[in-house]
Amino acid sequence: MSSIIEVKNVSFGYVCQSRILQDVSFDVKVGTFLSIAGPNGAGKTTLLNLLCGLLRPEAGSIRIDAARIESYSVRKLAQKIAVVRQEFVPVFDFTVAEVVSMARTPYLGTFGFDGKMDREAVNQALEATDTAQFSMRPLRNLSGGERQRVFIARALAQNTAIMLLDEPTSFLDLKHQVHIYDLLKAAQLEKGKTIVAITHDINLAAQYCDEILLLTGRKPAAQGPKNGTENPPSYLIGKAKDILSPAQIEEVFGVKVFTGKVGKENFFIPLGRFAKDGGQASIS
Amino acid sequence: MAQVLTARSLAIRILLCLAVLAVVMCLCALMGSQKVSLKKVLAGPGKSPGENIDYEILVGIRLPRVVLAALVGAALASAGVVLQAVLRNPLADPYILGISSGAGLGAITAVLSGATWSFWGGSPIAAFAFVGAIVTVWLVWLIGRATGKSQITNLLLAGVVVNAFLSAVIMFLTSIARSDQVHATIFWLMGNITEKNPSALGVSAGCILAGTVGLFGVSHRLNILSLGEQEAKGLGVDTAKTQIVALALAAFITAIAVSLSGLVGFVGLVVPHGVRLVAGPDHRQLLPISAIIGGAFLVAADTLARIIVAPAQLPVGVITAIAGGPFFLVLLARYSRKISWLK
Repeated sequence: MSSIIEVKNVSFGYVCQSRILQDVSFDVKVGTFLSIAGPNGAGKTTLLNLLCGLLRPEAGSIRIDAARIESYSVRKLAQKIAVVRQEFVPVFDFTVAEVVSMARTPYLGTFGFDGKMDREAVNQALEATDTAQFSMRPLRNLSGGERQRVFIARALAQNTAIMLLDEPTSFLDLKHQVHIYDLLKAAQLEKGKTIVAITHDINLAAQYCDEILLLTGRKPAAQGPKNGTENPPSYLIGKAKDILSPAQIEEVFGVKVFTGKVGKENFFIPLGRFAKDGGQASIS
Repeated sequence: MAQVLTARSLAIRILLCLAVLAVVMCLCALMGSQKVSLKKVLAGPGKSPGENIDYEILVGIRLPRVVLAALVGAALASAGVVLQAVLRNPLADPYILGISSGAGLGAITAVLSGATWSFWGGSPIAAFAFVGAIVTVWLVWLIGRATGKSQITNLLLAGVVVNAFLSAVIMFLTSIARSDQVHATIFWLMGNITEKNPSALGVSAGCILAGTVGLFGVSHRLNILSLGEQEAKGLGVDTAKTQIVALALAAFITAIAVSLSGLVGFVGLVVPHGVRLVAGPDHRQLLPISAIIGGAFLVAADTLARIIVAPAQLPVGVITAIAGGPFFLVLLARYSRKISWLK
């Protein structure tokens, strides 16, 4: 399988701040589901903004489908990558159908009227996400879970090889969290989409993703190792079961976790100072 | 099946609205302090001036005025639609980026300088107001761009600050002017549809129509832009280019409208919201329909201004504000549920 996203030695820092990402390199193969996890401020959203071309790396390169990301026009890039950001409500009262049809913008002509193919793509996306039933309702009147499904529908209608998502389940209850991840997994398995999703929920990530990129938030010294000691890595990438261990999680997130198993998968429950049983109880 | 706007349904709606506009224009042209007989008008112009007075009143005086009102209304409503979308602010109007105070300053400068020449049939007030408006918007744009990243908020702030500053300058100039000059300026500032010569009307009509068609060309991108810059880029819209084109065209047609008729308030705010409530927020539809309805609204308002205290005339800005003020308050109440600082 070839890589659809290639990130090579990418560094980035905002003006007047220390570097938030330092020398990050990874590849995403076509049709994989990559989760990006890490503590607040570790640079997850920054990385996503680099991947969708909104930010330019200070150093290093990003290739999408073998071509440098800078070589794409905004329009061409939008035909490759669909982005779902954290939930927002538009200023004007667009209906669900209108919002989803906006996905076709990168394919439309001068006056922006959609053709048969565009309408088909929109209808398919509405069906796939089970949002067709309220397609004529204003987006504003939907619940958080429904709205997020609409934005996933929009990303599907955009008909791109890659979908980038920034915490798609952050405001949702358990049922809707699972529902959203099921939708994404279905898009990956049935349509062969490459999915990159930021998440705070390492358990959901472990369940659904093929690989996980854990941004540790540690900043390696720019000059390399000093006094013979290895610098701690600023990120880890690999299969969830290799990356996510209680020690690693405690180190990165600064919190003790209780670990259990569901089948072969580990799951983790964070333990605070007042956690019951001090986290000593064990379940198998 | 999801229903979204098609070119065909839009064309039908535009034609319907144009028919409404035509009817309003005809009716309003027939109304006025002087009764006009349609039969006499249809008989055509007389052989010598003064022979068919009805024809001369209707074709020579009222029709140009009705056309002018329609043009100004269309320009202000279109510009209002565009500014509300680009600034993502439902309370934006065509004057928010400093056009009003810039034009006002231009107008009072023209009055104080006592210039009497004419330019393309326009008065010095019109020419000065146009230049003042364009220069001010450009200045606001430069300030907004220069101050940092969050450009939309900065643009709004720059507009407010420049408006306040220039208003102070206008007040200063007014306080040192003679009373007849003050009266001329204030009457102009209140907004006035008065007869213009055909060449001025023709040139302005061409500019406003061209500007509105240009805006229609970016109207589907305005939908996307109203979601915010990040979203718009993600959907393949070149945000900087679209903003510049949309703001420049909107400023241009507003400046022309202002130079034709002074500051007619509320049309650019009220009409887009009214149309949005009925027809939805899709800008491909909102823009052309607001333009047409804006035209009809101002034609009707101007007719009221002509006949309410006939044979004297009110400034049309008074009528639009009296009709628009209460509407604006309703809007504010409606939107204040979302704007927490108003609570």
